[in-house]
Amino acid sequence: MGYLWSELRQAIPLIAHGDQYILDVLWVTIRVAVVSTAGALVIGLPIGLALGLGRFRGRRTLQILANASMGLPPVIVGVAVLVLLLPQGVFGSLRIEFTLTAVYVVQTILALPYIVALVPAAIQGLPPGLLAQARMLGAGRLQLAALALREAKIGVIAAVIAALGASLSEVGAVVIVGGNIQGSDQTLASAVLQQVNDYADYPYAVAIGIVLLALILLLAAVLTVIQQRSSGINLRFRAAEPLDNRAAAQA
Amino acid sequence: MHELWELLRQAVPLITHGNPYLMSVIWFTVQVAVVATAAATVIGLPLGLAIGLGRFRGRRGLQILANASLGLPPVLVGLFLFFVFAGQGPLGGLHLPVTRRAIFVAQTILGLPYVVALTAAAVQALPSGLPAQARALGAGRLQLAILAVREARIGVLAAIIAALGTSLSEVGAVVIVGGNVYGYDQTLASAALYEANAARYADAVAIGIVLTGLILVLMGGVGVLQQQQGGIRLRFRSAT
Repeated sequence: MGYLWSELRQAIPLIAHGDQYILDVLWVTIRVAVVSTAGALVIGLPIGLALGLGRFRGRRTLQILANASMGLPPVIVGVAVLVLLLPQGVFGSLRIEFTLTAVYVVQTILALPYIVALVPAAIQGLPPGLLAQARMLGAGRLQLAALALREAKIGVIAAVIAALGASLSEVGAVVIVGGNIQGSDQTLASAVLQQVNDYADYPYAVAIGIVLLALILLLAAVLTVIQQRSSGINLRFRAAEPLDNRAAAQA
Repeated sequence: MHELWELLRQAVPLITHGNPYLMSVIWFTVQVAVVATAAATVIGLPLGLAIGLGRFRGRRGLQILANASLGLPPVLVGLFLFFVFAGQGPLGGLHLPVTRRAIFVAQTILGLPYVVALTAAAVQALPSGLPAQARALGAGRLQLAILAVREARIGVLAAIIAALGTSLSEVGAVVIVGGNVYGYDQTLASAALYEANAARYADAVAIGIVLTGLILVLMGGVGVLQQQQGGIRLRFRSAT
């Protein structure tokens, strides 16, 4: 174990003294994780809510599809996106291959299934009477969605944790689409890969690995605290407007 | 769109004509997936059953550990193993780094949390009266374990399929521990990475198609399993 110790002894000062390269990669990683998770939420939350609350044909099939796409190897997604982004590809005119923008795009696509699949699962786990009652009391779609999100908060935050975790630890798609370019579109995970395989710079690899682990633990801890702060269902939703009007009219 | 077709036109013959490099990578990938998952099942199933059924101190702690290790980035697992296997490391005597054997070991370790955590969860989801009743009827540990596996078989199979899925799609640990050596210790996923970085896009697309095919077969298996999900059948024999 002496070997690992000596690597650790060299790695710690790199972190403690705030090595500029590691700080840069950390910043890129945080940006990638936040942008891709936010992008996945903006696109995926309405879809997830529709799947969880909707009563339309093909809902089951779409849900199975969303579940299955969580198991898709990121490498495949990476190859597919790269082929589309290449100069001769469909989106080649955007000229974003091997840039941070391409990494944002591919990580958003990879984070999307977590939101789309786990949000409906969380909503469907709510007591069945809750949403039916809200509908009966005249809640509109938007009110129903807000209620479902609030009540299924634990599951929704779990979906966000899963999406963030995936974008922090993923390497396949990032390396394929971004090219693992130092100082441009390298994340902590892909930087570890490069330090070991290309440079054989093990203290750096260990230092970056420690920072990655710390970042994941920190994010998971913060989100878990938020998640657990209010648990259990609280029926705090207001009665829908039309009902109030009717009640007023009757009085 | 025209160029995309061109790429596919180049990629498909690589698969249909059995390009030797592609075939060797497919064969190695299947070997790794089967061997690593089998090893993870042999090691992980008893652990998962012990956590799911046992009533010992520290059971909760072990379960949290198993669940947490599901979220560990494979790159970090790979990095840790790299040092453990390195010439000067504790297991340096095995001469594993940058060999095929290192890939088998790394993928087994990555598959293990899936088997342990998901088996334990599946067993705990059984009606709580079931193990209690079996215990009351005098079932021994082994009988109890066999009963639990039989009743929770869908969950247990799902755990094994999850482990198979990771060993097919994982790249981080494979590349770090194995070095992604062309034609030697590459899996389909790491070969796709290699070919895409080497700008051989037709090869990357061909590998991607094959990998997608394998994953779809696995997912089909999951779908079939989910369809068969029925109620519990109490078919266990009473203890003698």
